[in-house]
Amino acid sequence: MSRDVALPTILVAEDHNHDKFILTEVFSRAGIRADLRFVNDGEQMLDYLYRRGPFAAPGAAIMPTLVLLDLNMPRLDGRKVIRILRADETLRHLPVIALSTSESPKHITEAYAIGINAYLVKPANIPDYVAKVSSLWDFWMRTASLPTVDVKP
Amino acid sequence: MHDGAGQGEPPIPVAVDLTSCDREPIHVPGAIQPHGLLFAFTEGDLRTVSVSANLPDLLGIRPDDLVGRPIDAAFDADSHARLRAVLRQTEGTAGTPVAMQFRAGGDAGLDGVVHRNDGLVLLELEPRGPESEGAHAFFRRTSGAIRRLQAARTLTDACAAAAREVRNITGFDRVKIYRFASDFSGEVIAESRDEAIESFLGLHFPPSDIPAQARALYTLNPIRIIPDIDYRPALMVPNRHPTTGRPIDLSFAVLRSVSPIHLEYMRNMGIRGTMSISILRGDRLWGLIACHNRLPRHVGHDARQACEMVAQVLAWQIGVMEEDAVTRHSLKGKAIQRRLLGDMEQMRDHRAGLIGNSEALLDLMGASGLCLYGRDAVTTIGRTPSIAAIERLVDWAIRADGAELFQTDRLPTLLPEATAYADVASGVLAVPLSRSPPRRVMLWFRPEVTQTVRWGGNPEKPVEREPNGGRLQPRKSFAAWTEESRGRAVPWQPHEIVAAVELRELVIDVILRKAEELESVNTQLARSNEELESFAYVASHDLKEPLRHIEAFAGLLGETIRQTGDARLDAMVGGIESSSRRLRNLINDLAEFSRLGRHAQPLAPASLGEIAQEVMADLRQRIEEARATVRCEALPTVLCDRNQMRQVLQNLLSNALKYRHPERPCEIRIFAQVENGKPHREVGTDAFVRVFVADNGIGFDPKYAEQVFEPFQRLHGPDEYEGSGIGLAICRKIIQRHGGKVGVETAPNEGATFWFSLPLPAGQDGAEQV
Repeated sequence: MSRDVALPTILVAEDHNHDKFILTEVFSRAGIRADLRFVNDGEQMLDYLYRRGPFAAPGAAIMPTLVLLDLNMPRLDGRKVIRILRADETLRHLPVIALSTSESPKHITEAYAIGINAYLVKPANIPDYVAKVSSLWDFWMRTASLPTVDVKP
Repeated sequence: MHDGAGQGEPPIPVAVDLTSCDREPIHVPGAIQPHGLLFAFTEGDLRTVSVSANLPDLLGIRPDDLVGRPIDAAFDADSHARLRAVLRQTEGTAGTPVAMQFRAGGDAGLDGVVHRNDGLVLLELEPRGPESEGAHAFFRRTSGAIRRLQAARTLTDACAAAAREVRNITGFDRVKIYRFASDFSGEVIAESRDEAIESFLGLHFPPSDIPAQARALYTLNPIRIIPDIDYRPALMVPNRHPTTGRPIDLSFAVLRSVSPIHLEYMRNMGIRGTMSISILRGDRLWGLIACHNRLPRHVGHDARQACEMVAQVLAWQIGVMEEDAVTRHSLKGKAIQRRLLGDMEQMRDHRAGLIGNSEALLDLMGASGLCLYGRDAVTTIGRTPSIAAIERLVDWAIRADGAELFQTDRLPTLLPEATAYADVASGVLAVPLSRSPPRRVMLWFRPEVTQTVRWGGNPEKPVEREPNGGRLQPRKSFAAWTEESRGRAVPWQPHEIVAAVELRELVIDVILRKAEELESVNTQLARSNEELESFAYVASHDLKEPLRHIEAFAGLLGETIRQTGDARLDAMVGGIESSSRRLRNLINDLAEFSRLGRHAQPLAPASLGEIAQEVMADLRQRIEEARATVRCEALPTVLCDRNQMRQVLQNLLSNALKYRHPERPCEIRIFAQVENGKPHREVGTDAFVRVFVADNGIGFDPKYAEQVFEPFQRLHGPDEYEGSGIGLAICRKIIQRHGGKVGVETAPNEGATFWFSLPLPAGQDGAEQV
């Protein structure tokens, strides 16, 4: 991972190593330069965001610009993590993009209802995946204006 | 036989009809037969009120000499005392013997019988005949007769023995045992006769031959005798009740004069002397012992007593035998039940068990036909009406709740159309075997009773004697009875009905037990089906994850390799990519197939026409690519799960597009026809529609017509045509869930016409316009 301070930090909650590898590759092939930080489940993600446990050391957890969250994770499920984030006024501004394999309309609607900002179905096909991640990046990092981390609302 | 031992009212018109018997006031005779005397006394002081006019013949004095005078004017003091003693101990109309002696008489005593009626004491007297015997001789003769009677083992034997004994005692030319049926028609069931006289055995007689009031008298007065039918009736003098002024009521007098109709009847038979003895079972008149003689014949008091005793013993014997018959019938029924139960259990089918025991069931119920009626099958054994007639009979006879037992011995009078088959089914006993629909009924049939009656003589034999009596002859009676018995069967006896009810309980138990077993198997099946579907769904879901990774890695690898330009590696990784794509399609289809049963919506009416239009819109791009013409004709509204029906049409239309013929323009036609099939009870509707999707594509060998609907069955390699081979299996599963069927008609290169059938909503039997 690059330590270049100019790179935006993307926190990815993903339990599966294959998915971590594939996502890293897809970011790379999409030509995106970003600081991808992976956590394995919801608990680790909260540890990261609250800078506790393994992330307690200064500099161990940089506040992310975007959160990519697999909705189906062991221990603390992605949906619960979102509820916790949205209930916390120091974190509720964080843009969260759900990653899922489910195309079920019910699951998608539920996810928006609990406060995600976008829902992304993981494609199996690499060109599709690359195209999706590219457009996602274009929107969030180039088109949209994002909240500033240090400014309190 | 006519035995209306009535009275001798003043002259009777010659043109008599037996039905006029019922109207004759035979209980108010005004005269007696002249072989005896009748005195009427006042109650209490025993003053003579009236005497029969033949008094001078026997005593040499005229009635006027005694009327108004005390009893002592006629009888000696001992007789008077005996009579008073008898009167103190008895009351009512039953006769009591009393020995009497005239005051002025010779040595000969008189056999007297006294009874009370209408406020008077009536004393009948007959001269004690010379044949009168001692008590010892009487006992010996009677006890011998009774012993022989008791040796009989069957009802017929007992009756035949009784007839023989009575004939021995009395010397009549013919003694017959006559039995009343429940409708009081009668049958000669035993006979003892002189060979020179005609046999009446087996003859039946209509109830009118022995009218109701005659039967009532026979119950009270067990023995009647007419020594000479050509007697001159002796009138009562005066024939006037002293207080009421009415004729003296001789209803309960043994000597009372007989109906001229009866005498006419006897005359027509060539009979001059008769006697009849009642066979009483309790208060019920079971039958008669009827005696006929070609010449006048008087039977003395002792002999009559002996005959009465024979009749009593016979009645007792009959009682024992009837009870015995019921017991034996019940045992037989139990034995059949045991065998039936075993068979039904062993054959695992109540119907097969019943059919296997049909002969025994017919025999047990004394029936000539048996029908096992069910909605799914009707089995008849023996002589029965047509199945169509039985169906109408069941609908008519068994009420909707199905719990009632139906029985009749005269079906044609209740159900007019049954007249057509009265010869086989005048009697019906119908026992429902299920308490709720679908109905199962067991029916026994009995023929018209005349079909079972054996004619004692030759029915074709010309009537030997045709006097001016017209109708008043036994064979004319038989003909009348035959006519009256049209459409009537031998009635079902209470113990037979009990046996039928017991059989019903048995069969219902077996059916219920089977139903419970079936239900439990069904529940297990449904559960394992559910588990299988949920397993398939979960499995497909879990298979998808690693597959997605394979696809992704293959994709990454493929991009990397393609940059190197190595064609062989490119082909290899391409193989991984296409295989994993195919595997994903299979898994998706499997998931969809297993999901069908789990997320089914209830059936509701929906327009197939609208659904077809939606499907055509969805597939517009593919239709255009294929340059296909799709013609959709009028389709009806059907009961369906709209989404599933859409999937069916989509799959069929997709197939028609996919398997189009390369050398001709693709033409597809969607149309519907109403089926003229049998009612489909499970779905609760009568009409079905068949929907066709016909193409002019490549078609296939019709030997695969079944196979194409199996999951993952394909007729083409994956390189020729895409697809997992689940589409038609999904169609079939959906249509089956709707209670319909799927099929295809096709030939190679001739196109294929796929069809499916669906229930129409109630009341709809045609297509609507799209």
